[in-house]
Amino acid sequence: MPESIVIENLSKYYNKFLAVDNLSLSVTENSNVGLLGPNGAGKSTTLKIICGLIHASSGKVYVNGISVAEKPEQALSRIGAIIETPEFYSFLTPEETLSYLGKLRGMRSDHLRNRIKEVIRRVRLEEWSKIRIEKFSRGMKQRLALAQALLHDPPVLILDEPALGLDPRGVVEFRELIEEAGHEKTVFFASHQLVEVAQICNEVAIIDRGHLLAYDKIAQMEEKYQSLESAYLQLTGGIP
Amino acid sequence: MSEFDKLRVVTGYEFLKHIRRRRLYIILGLTVLVEAAVLIAVPLLMDGYPDNVMVMAAMLSIGPSLATIGAVFFAGDAIAGEFEGKTGFILFTNPVRRTTLVTGKYLAGLAAVVLLIILGYVIVSISLLVIYGTVPVETAESFGLCLLYGGAVLSVTFFFSSISKGSMGATVITLVFIMVVSSVIDGILVMADKPHWFLLSTNGDSIATVYGGYELFLEGLPMGGRNIPSGWMENPDISLMILSMVIYLVAGFVLSVLISRRRQLA
Repeated sequence: MPESIVIENLSKYYNKFLAVDNLSLSVTENSNVGLLGPNGAGKSTTLKIICGLIHASSGKVYVNGISVAEKPEQALSRIGAIIETPEFYSFLTPEETLSYLGKLRGMRSDHLRNRIKEVIRRVRLEEWSKIRIEKFSRGMKQRLALAQALLHDPPVLILDEPALGLDPRGVVEFRELIEEAGHEKTVFFASHQLVEVAQICNEVAIIDRGHLLAYDKIAQMEEKYQSLESAYLQLTGGIP
Repeated sequence: MSEFDKLRVVTGYEFLKHIRRRRLYIILGLTVLVEAAVLIAVPLLMDGYPDNVMVMAAMLSIGPSLATIGAVFFAGDAIAGEFEGKTGFILFTNPVRRTTLVTGKYLAGLAAVVLLIILGYVIVSISLLVIYGTVPVETAESFGLCLLYGGAVLSVTFFFSSISKGSMGATVITLVFIMVVSSVIDGILVMADKPHWFLLSTNGDSIATVYGGYELFLEGLPMGGRNIPSGWMENPDISLMILSMVIYLVAGFVLSVLISRRRQLA
């Protein structure tokens, strides 16, 4: 299987603090990989480097074979991303926001209009599509974040704690949406929620202090450590 | 899709931001208010309007000058806001060069400032036409200088926005730079009878001094310009001031682009 994301010897320093330490891993096409790790493990930093938001101190990242550092625009055209808890321009409505982002991605008017309707329906924001975002709750903004990530139908989804701020029903709906999208896309998904990762992903990478501790199929991880939770705790130095 | 097409998209939506935000209308209101105040106060305090149309034109140029300061409020959050407000997590993950994004934001800010300046000069022209039946040709020069000054202020604000963590910080630093730092140095250099054409505050004065120099402001005042040290009345060369504003405009913009391209959204 071709590789959608390739991370080679990636390191990132914030001044003297080493956030990612010589990380290497590959995500094959159409696989759904969960990136697990405690706070400060380097999950968000890794995803931000993939999305070109921060520069690596050393190492390389490729998306669909394109170097993020050398050709960021080409690499980003293959990605749909939700990083942290993003904010939107409060003076725009969801429709206008998606129209702006779609135009920036070069989507043609007719196709863009249809896609906007489709993704707004998928994230259940139909009733709010013409209302300015200044009135939106955190959960509604997260739904819109997913809508913009799916808008251009990218082959790769990069998601950093995408269900943060959602109510329990929203979390369930969100998982279903990502699971559905994951059937035909590569999903690289950082989370603290083991249940969420187990439901959406078929593989998991566990990192701590910027190091890759394990990267395997969830079924094999469960077989080796009895459960994903047990694997996580043992590998990250929690309960043995 | 070419970067030029993306630039058009960014500029359009950024301009929409200015149109929908209250600050444009506040500055617009202030510009109209200041012009109205000049038109009402001058005849009350000076027993009618000055005989010299140039004096009145120079006095009315305060409105458009104020409009250029609006640039600070349009641009303060242009770059810093994307990082502070986390909107960058959405915008910067799109396949668009930072140079294109900053340029689009700059053009949109410039369009908003130009809109305000045009309105200011419409008021100036109509007022002069009604009061004196004529609009001096220097008004066109003043308009051109005002546009250039607006662009320079916008660029300086973009520079501070690119290095600031927050929008408020960028706005305050720019205002302090123009209204305090530059003005204080300006005052010192004038008193010391040294050249001061390279200061942004001096450049701003050119919008009014183009009508006849600093001495024009003193016309009609009781002291009439007497006992003023000679250096205070010296008008900097207009071509040097234009050069200075072009340098602020280009340097501020280029630096803001270069810094934004390197800035990381951690």
